[in-house]
Amino acid sequence: MDPIATALKVAASGLHAQSERLRIVSENLANAQSTGNTPGADPYQRKTIAFAAEVDRLTGGDFVRIADIARDDAPFRVEFDPGHEAADEDGYVKLPNVNALVEMADMSEANRAYEANLQVIKQARDLISMTIDLMRNQ
Amino acid sequence: MEPVQLFNLASQQARWLSTRQAVIAGNVANANTAGFRPMDVESFATVLSKTSPSMVATDTMHLGGDAFGSAVGIAERESEVPVRPSGNSVKLEDELVKAGEIRRGFELNTAIVKAFHRMILMAAKTS
Repeated sequence: MDPIATALKVAASGLHAQSERLRIVSENLANAQSTGNTPGADPYQRKTIAFAAEVDRLTGGDFVRIADIARDDAPFRVEFDPGHEAADEDGYVKLPNVNALVEMADMSEANRAYEANLQVIKQARDLISMTIDLMRNQ
Repeated sequence: MEPVQLFNLASQQARWLSTRQAVIAGNVANANTAGFRPMDVESFATVLSKTSPSMVATDTMHLGGDAFGSAVGIAERESEVPVRPSGNSVKLEDELVKAGEIRRGFELNTAIVKAFHRMILMAAKTS
């Protein structure tokens, strides 16, 4: 298969992976305050995403795929709030183990990687049009 | 008359450049993959000096190689950057610099082919 077409597909797989990552970040941020609704219940558990390289048999390109979307086992934050519906018998509420700063850093890194993949797609497209230009009448 | 090899040479270089582009795309796409080491193709001089017959993929189950049998060798790049805890050593900046090199090479290549083509046409028209 044409290597430039392979490059386009590989970069597209990168775009997909990074947008999934952005989705996970937004889920984490949106649920940063999601507690349980029964006494002592566990709150939202932060999600993590892992990528894996995968060689495509047909093209030989190194595609990226989502290896795993897992739950972060870090301990939950605990806050004293006896009036809360998820408070246990001592009055403590478990809050999600989401750190907004970590999510923000992850988001800007996903952004950067997405831009790099877009750059590759742009360039592959330019290479193709340069080749097609050879056939034009000068 | 000596056969003109320039078109052949130029198409070989274009093939090498586009294979390299595919490899760089793989590096960029896997910039956040744990355990991934960046790859690069062998130099163009090595590709040119190779005389051994190359493998051609004739079936979708054949690994590596492509339908043209260009057989540009791809190897893990030994990196000077310390490997991060995730086992990944891709530097996006380096990859973009390489993409720039590919672009310049491709621009030069197509410009030369264009000029050469024009020369041939000129010779054909005036004679």
